[in-house]
Amino acid sequence: MNIQLVGMNHKTAPVEVRERLALSEEGAGELARELTRGDLIDEAMVLSTCNRVEFIASGEPDALRGEFLRRFSGSANGSGPPQGALYNLAERQAVRHVFRVASSLDSMVVGEPQILGQVREAYQRAKEAGALGGPLERLVSHAFRVARRVRNETEIGKMAVSVSHVAVELARKIFGDLGGRAVLLIGAGEMAEAAARHLQAAGASRLWVTNRTAAGAERLASEVAGETVPFERLLEALQSVDIVISSTGSPEFILSRRAAEGVIAARRNRPIFLVDIAVPRDIDPAINEVENVFVYDIDDLQQVAEANMENRRREAELAEKIIDAEVERTFQRIKASRAGPAIESLNERLEAIRQGELERHQAKLRGLSAEQRAVVEQLTRSIINKVAHHPIREAKRSASDPRSRITVEDIRRIFGLD
Amino acid sequence: MVADGASLQRVALALYAVGLLDALYAVAKPRHQLSRLAVYAFVLATGAHFGSLALESWTQGRFAVQTLQQMSSMASFFMAAAFLAAYARFKYTSLAVFAFPPVFVLALAGALGGAAPTVSRPMLQWWISAHAALFLLGYSALFLACVAGLMYLIGERDLKAKRQRPFSSHLPPLGKLDEIGYKALAAAFVLITLGLIAASVGAFTKWDSNWIVDPTIALTFLTWGIAFVIVLGRMAAGWRGRRGAYLAIAGFCCAALTWIVNSGAHTFMGR
Repeated sequence: MNIQLVGMNHKTAPVEVRERLALSEEGAGELARELTRGDLIDEAMVLSTCNRVEFIASGEPDALRGEFLRRFSGSANGSGPPQGALYNLAERQAVRHVFRVASSLDSMVVGEPQILGQVREAYQRAKEAGALGGPLERLVSHAFRVARRVRNETEIGKMAVSVSHVAVELARKIFGDLGGRAVLLIGAGEMAEAAARHLQAAGASRLWVTNRTAAGAERLASEVAGETVPFERLLEALQSVDIVISSTGSPEFILSRRAAEGVIAARRNRPIFLVDIAVPRDIDPAINEVENVFVYDIDDLQQVAEANMENRRREAELAEKIIDAEVERTFQRIKASRAGPAIESLNERLEAIRQGELERHQAKLRGLSAEQRAVVEQLTRSIINKVAHHPIREAKRSASDPRSRITVEDIRRIFGLD
Repeated sequence: MVADGASLQRVALALYAVGLLDALYAVAKPRHQLSRLAVYAFVLATGAHFGSLALESWTQGRFAVQTLQQMSSMASFFMAAAFLAAYARFKYTSLAVFAFPPVFVLALAGALGGAAPTVSRPMLQWWISAHAALFLLGYSALFLACVAGLMYLIGERDLKAKRQRPFSSHLPPLGKLDEIGYKALAAAFVLITLGLIAASVGAFTKWDSNWIVDPTIALTFLTWGIAFVIVLGRMAAGWRGRRGAYLAIAGFCCAALTWIVNSGAHTFMGR
């Protein structure tokens, strides 16, 4: 198959090196087309994201590395990549890398879902540019299936690992669908704004902002497309919202247990989720004991995020085993696909020899009766079948058994099939 | 070969067992989600179970709720149907972990009984059949409310304790569990009320007012009273969440007790 992969990623090269070859989606497609213009590379795909720049190709060994270096040296400052920045993988290692990248095992945040979309985009661009259409295309298509299998059979992407996402996930555990839920931001901190944006992305539609200074509330409200509520009407607002994100600079609690009990009674026990990301805390932690009120402070969110990250690491180990099995299966298939044509060639070759010999002795065979001719025909056929039997068996075995000593290439060479 | 009620019941039991094994595997291995095979098996089991009950009722010429075994079988069918209705609406497979075991046990209890004895008492009155069917349906709805309540308590405790456990990560959101519990409870209340009305009208006609003093009847009214209080409390005072879950569990426990005490027929029916 001769799959090669050359590139650099967040682990091998800093951003100032990676950015020298960073390409737009269109640029990546165009470059894939250029790479296949020569005779050395049959198919190519270029993956360029903020964390990696990789050329993947099928064709002559080492052709790709030269192309990568040429383009890197031709970039802005002209120098080559720093020592150790580049990885150059071939065959099994390259296939394994493609599977790992698509499955988000090679990502900065393991399990993040964006990378699969980026690989899909690169594949689509390369396909549109006419740079795919053979074994590499089949390999990348298979990588999507591997990524799906990893997603389905592990929990690698199921748990949030950032504080903002954790808050959204917890809100989902309480309310389910967040569509139409109302959110109140108390204070105008950046982290609260980030959490609010995640909640909006998850479907929360009504957003209110309150702050001790009206100007701060108005600024944030305009940024997140929300409405302002006077700080004095905080308790009233708490009666109608579902999720609260508090991040004021207040040195003491702004919400006491007694006040929360009043709020929950006025809400007729409708649940409320209070996220306190202020330090010092804004919300009395004792409120968590009140029925139908759920209070999480910044440490609680952090702990959940860390536990989830640990869980992802454990799931990644499981995912690596899936990748190993899939790489093995891929190469089994490749071998099997090579055995078929080799067997066909062998049969054709032996039949040609048989026909040739019969032709050569045509004059001597002319005196034979039809019955005798049939015997000769059967005899010669039987001989070539017996000769072919063992090599065909070995070719089939080598396709399915990686420990087989004789390869399809050996059989091709012995019988001069190329 | 023409299928008879007993053969269909055994088929249903075997299919329920497939679902049960998968649900138990999901408990042992939290990573494992209930498989489609288990859901399909459960759907087929419920269909076969319906067939067996219909055949049994047809051949006996009366609604098949005359003996404890028949009532067990009928109750397990209604519980399975309640689970499938909730699954079709909410798509939460984790309900199965709580629902499949009692469905299987009751179906097994129903299958262990022999043929229903010929009852000399006049059991063919429409109101007795309607009463039994409505009560069993109501109890099945209470069972669903109880399952939702149990799951709510587990999920709520983990959220309050800020604890992430593999099992609770597969639980439906608390809001949905509360909704399932309340809807099931409201349905149970309506069904039990209708069952009580059917029974009261028929019993007054047949036994005048003698039957009211029967202690098992008092227990039945107590179950109805609990369902009434919960529904009223939810509507008027906003009882929900943990309180609603506890009440749903209490309601089901009371219903289970009533059923055990009342299994078969009431004592006064022989008078």
